Amino acid sequence: MNRVLSWRAVVVGLLVALLPALPFMSKFYLLLAFDALLFGAIAMSLDLLIGYTGLVSFGHAAFFGLGAYSTAILLERGVLSLWACLVAAVLVVGLYALVVSYFATARRGIYFALLTLIFAEVVYTFFRYTQTFGGSDGIQGVPAPRLMPAFAIDTPLRNYYVVLAYLALAYLVCRVLVASHFGKVLVAIRENEDRARFLGYNVQRYKMAVCLISALLTGIGGALYPGRSAFATPDLMLWTVSGEFIIMVMIGGLGTLAGPVIGGAFFVLLQEKVSSYVDWYFMVIGLVLIVIVLFMPRGLLGIRAMLGFKQWRATA
Amino acid sequence: MKRLTWGFTVLVALAALVWAGAPAVSQPKVVKIGDLGSKVGVFEGYGKYQTWGVQMAVEELNAKGGVLGHKIEVVSEDDETKPAPAVRKAEKLILQDDVKLLVGAVSSGATLAVMDVTKKHKTIHWNSVSCAEFMRTTKFHKYYFSNQPDSRMQANGLAKYIVDKMGKKVYIFYTDYAMGQSDGRQFKTALEKLGGEVVGVAGAPLDTKDFSPWFGAINQSNPDVLFVAFAGTDSLRLMTQLHSFGMTKKYKMAGIDCFLLQQDLASIAEPMEGFVQLNHFSPYNPDANMQAYNARFKKKFGTDANIAAGSYDAVLFWAAAVEKAKSFDPDKVAEAHEGMCVDNTHIGRQCIRKEDHQVVMDMHLYQVKGGKNLPIARIAGSDSIGEAMVGKDPVEGFTWEIKKK
Repeated sequence: MNRVLSWRAVVVGLLVALLPALPFMSKFYLLLAFDALLFGAIAMSLDLLIGYTGLVSFGHAAFFGLGAYSTAILLERGVLSLWACLVAAVLVVGLYALVVSYFATARRGIYFALLTLIFAEVVYTFFRYTQTFGGSDGIQGVPAPRLMPAFAIDTPLRNYYVVLAYLALAYLVCRVLVASHFGKVLVAIRENEDRARFLGYNVQRYKMAVCLISALLTGIGGALYPGRSAFATPDLMLWTVSGEFIIMVMIGGLGTLAGPVIGGAFFVLLQEKVSSYVDWYFMVIGLVLIVIVLFMPRGLLGIRAMLGFKQWRATA
Repeated sequence: MKRLTWGFTVLVALAALVWAGAPAVSQPKVVKIGDLGSKVGVFEGYGKYQTWGVQMAVEELNAKGGVLGHKIEVVSEDDETKPAPAVRKAEKLILQDDVKLLVGAVSSGATLAVMDVTKKHKTIHWNSVSCAEFMRTTKFHKYYFSNQPDSRMQANGLAKYIVDKMGKKVYIFYTDYAMGQSDGRQFKTALEKLGGEVVGVAGAPLDTKDFSPWFGAINQSNPDVLFVAFAGTDSLRLMTQLHSFGMTKKYKMAGIDCFLLQQDLASIAEPMEGFVQLNHFSPYNPDANMQAYNARFKKKFGTDANIAAGSYDAVLFWAAAVEKAKSFDPDKVAEAHEGMCVDNTHIGRQCIRKEDHQVVMDMHLYQVKGGKNLPIARIAGSDSIGEAMVGKDPVEGFTWEIKKK
């Protein structure tokens, strides 16, 4: 079709859209698929930062959680329109991301990571102790949002298609971005920030812009979460959740967009399956991550190269 | 290259879905029940004993032929003491495993979140450990039942003894999440109603490692009694630290039923000496029913039972309701539960109040002596349960404000 959206991507999208028709796709698997696609999309958004720009954010859970709280607060107060929830999430997350990115992008490397972590912890603590928003219990039992006044997104199937639409939109945005001149500058910043600056690019502005885009995509994902789970709690913003997002990106393959989607889905399915058999399931996930980092530094997508397929290369 | 990438993506996605979707082989004439609780973390102990209680009940029922001719199978899941995993696992138990009963969760925050799932998917839900006051009030639904004395019941039973026997000036120190806040609120309300004086309140986050920053405020307010609403490893750390600051000797101590499990008391006997709490079970209670239950439990698991014994009763109640309804249909089973009495629970005969599905439990006040929870007074269930408040806000008008006398 074009360099941004190939026909193969459309075919994959259609196949994923047909998944609910499979005989084993019960309500539970639709909910699991929702989680897989949602966190896959969020990992892809984070990949813009980690894989393409070389910025490791330890605070993405805050964007996710703020999006979730924006929706939960509106739903709890009787504002049931999904569109209103999304607008609120974009405004809240956007405003917060502006502040975080302004300060965090002024620093490099570990300082960027620490600043995103610290900001996220502040947000987590705020919601953890603010009783107006339910304190540590968060906001629970919210009603399902409505796409239109008479169309509630109240079944696993409807939620599935909403999150699929979100993934498609997020993928399109990310693809357009990385294929554009803007995306090339991001890669240049990742490869050699000083050289990019000497070439005349306003590096901080580029970093702020990609932070904002990544945060907004993550926040929109968060805004869809209460529709599926009926709650938003401070736990969603915990630093461990940010760590999980990073793990998803690493499992899938840095700087590939499609890789983190696979990584996110793989993480959700692994977590679901392993945690039913092993109490300390994070040890298993940790072992998987160690194996991937040591033997498959290009993530799950790198398996293709290991199997003798055409050499794969992250981010042109 | 793109073709390979997308082809590979589809391959991985399909493989993952087939793996995840591999259907479980179901046995004929088997009914599954779900056990959802903390398997790791602060509340690990409660989750473990909840599971054992469920297992023991299932074993005894299966030995008698199961329920409605079905063998009962238990599926246990870890809620990680957090709402999100608890909801995910509750959905798995209900939608994938098709459990007809869900027992859990352990933490009040997780149980509140799971209540939305059991309501949505019409599943009989028994709570045997969590005690936040919203479960049988604002969050109540027809499929929810509880045999855990909630915060209001505990406060009603304990406050009078404290005012009469321990002292009128009380400092309330609680763990700052659903359970602790609920216990603190209800205890303050009950105490002030009885003429007691709350001289200070403070909340510490769940899983706090160092409690000493709060000790100055406690000492400054100079209470007669320090009421503590913590649980699990939080309680262990708190008591150790209070003891090292000499505060367990300085103040009389009282707390909630799940403050520490009997199993933990031996290792922390000295700091806990004299500690008073309201409870529905102790292996050191001479009551014949408790002793019989504890003997069976100890024979099976090699250790004394504790307050998570409620999970044993939950399964018995559900099985009796299923037999009465002659069906696993959740609506029929829920109706059969209402007003039902069961004779062979861990404390003998117990009945479910129809209005709010709360089991009316006779309890005892216990005092720790030499690492053992010994009964000092009996509180009738009817004296502690309070009025049914389904749909009403149990904390309406409540304020943490300290009323100076």
